[in-house]
Amino acid sequence: MKRMRMSPRRMLNDTLLSWKARGGFRQTVAEIIERGKRNAMVVIGTTIIVILISLAILAPVLPISDPAMQNPNAEELSPTWNHWFGTDNLGHDVFSRVIWGARISLFVGTVAVLFSLLIGMTLGLTAGYFGGKIDYLISGAIDLFWTFPAFLLALAFASALGPSLSNVMLAIAVSYWAGFARLVRGQALTVRERQFVEASRALGANNRRIMFTHVLPNCLAPLIVWASIGVADAITIESSLSFLGVGTQPPAASWGYMLYRGKTFIEEAPWISVFPGIAILIAILGFNLLGDGLRDVLDPRLKGLRR
Amino acid sequence: MADLISYVIRKLLLAIPVVILATLIVFLLLYLTPGDPVSALSPPHATAAQLDAIREKWGLLDPPYVQYGKFLWRISHGDLGTSIGFGTRDIAVSSLITERLSNTLMLMGIGLAISYSMGIPLGILAALRQNKAADRVIMVFTLVTYAMPSFWLGLLFLLLFSVYLGWLPAEGTTGGFGSIILPAMTLGIGNAALTTRMMRSSMLEVIRMDHITQLRSRGIPEREVIFKHALKNAILPVITVIGLDIGWFVGGAVVVETVFSWPGIGLLMTRGILNADFPVVQGCILVMAFFVIIGNLMADVFYAYVDPRVRLG
Repeated sequence: MKRMRMSPRRMLNDTLLSWKARGGFRQTVAEIIERGKRNAMVVIGTTIIVILISLAILAPVLPISDPAMQNPNAEELSPTWNHWFGTDNLGHDVFSRVIWGARISLFVGTVAVLFSLLIGMTLGLTAGYFGGKIDYLISGAIDLFWTFPAFLLALAFASALGPSLSNVMLAIAVSYWAGFARLVRGQALTVRERQFVEASRALGANNRRIMFTHVLPNCLAPLIVWASIGVADAITIESSLSFLGVGTQPPAASWGYMLYRGKTFIEEAPWISVFPGIAILIAILGFNLLGDGLRDVLDPRLKGLRR
Repeated sequence: MADLISYVIRKLLLAIPVVILATLIVFLLLYLTPGDPVSALSPPHATAAQLDAIREKWGLLDPPYVQYGKFLWRISHGDLGTSIGFGTRDIAVSSLITERLSNTLMLMGIGLAISYSMGIPLGILAALRQNKAADRVIMVFTLVTYAMPSFWLGLLFLLLFSVYLGWLPAEGTTGGFGSIILPAMTLGIGNAALTTRMMRSSMLEVIRMDHITQLRSRGIPEREVIFKHALKNAILPVITVIGLDIGWFVGGAVVVETVFSWPGIGLLMTRGILNADFPVVQGCILVMAFFVIIGNLMADVFYAYVDPRVRLG
């Protein structure tokens, strides 16, 4: 008997069903995917992100030239069949550098946001759950970091720390956590007053258990929305910092760094700057679409959260 | 009115800890710099005697809280130290900043004007044509312009308007008023996306309100309902956040000034970073932080002025 090939849609649905059956955290994730599937913005955003991530992962095996290879005979060539995006002033192939740049830019964006998520979640949970003096102190810090635009903070930290890949991630992470902390703190404040928390405390659950089983799952949806928008913001900040010369450094040539190098040649070889810029635009668009779309399907109340 | 004044005073008092914490962070930046703090403050190839003089002047040998106290004392007297960078060595940072302040303010002012004069009409149009073609086009436009990094948009403008078309000067201030058009447009369009989205959602909220339905049911012409009644309410939340936009504009100005070599504080700062001129960088950050705090205060006060519930609550 011939085995029927399963369509991707079918596979997704099956996975969703089995996840849901297991309940808890997986159920929440399954529901997010379920609802997201029906939103055009989520679908387009996810498609863009999946393509970019695949290109980034597959870069070493793709049939493209070595991004570090300098060809003195091919400097500042305009786009042709051999060099789709042209070559830069040192004879690097711009196309392969854009693909390899995706690795750096996506890596920095994701890691920086994960770190700031960690900082924000820890501080937000602690403040919201314990209240009192701890809350007062942490809320003060949240307000301060919330007052200043993340880009300015990151610029200040990065200019003091000096340019390097890890410093950029650090600078973004310590500038961006306030949004996560606000979300989690607010959620913790409301959840801890709910009856089921009281009930589980009566049953002997300790603070840590209550936070991880009741408070965190309740913040999951807004956190995912915020994290997606956060990656877009982190990529913007990273590329801006790199463009100003305080961001990533070679050999980790991010898109922003390529623009930093390319702007000197904007008149005679605009393709050196134009293509990495398009890549940044597409990446930011993808994560923003995903974030905005998810926000609309998960929690319309969150509209206008960003600003 | 009295409640408004007491609200403003309360907000001013609440701003004090913010100022203190912000200056503390700026002060601590020195200790984030790699190596000995004195090396961040001294020109390259400084002699031992010069290093000692700098340690003495900045109080680097004092305990940290004394250092911070001295730092506060100095900046409250307008002393931001002296530049150590190439070309500006030994010039007071405060005078470097005041020379360039008007350029940055002008850029931000025109940028704000562009942002709001684009964003408000587009937002209104999108709301009135909700889910129709015009709305879709405007929303896609905001999505794309929001995702566009400002330095890249600036480079594209530069390429189009000054390299290919030759209409506007590419850099500096040599072209008189023409020089500011491209930087201000770059700055304004990035923010216009946010203004448009805000105006749209605010307008959508207002035109669904009961009093608007009531006006319509009385047979008042649609144009009058929208522009005389709805707009007045819808535009307020958009205008009140101008203050919050200042923070965005300050950050944007750093990038845009660098693209167009516009001689403002932002360019001073990025040149300072490249020259390892820490006092200049620190001074610029301090001034920018000050801008942000003022902007937030402005937003608070303006909000309380238009919405009495805020100040009475």
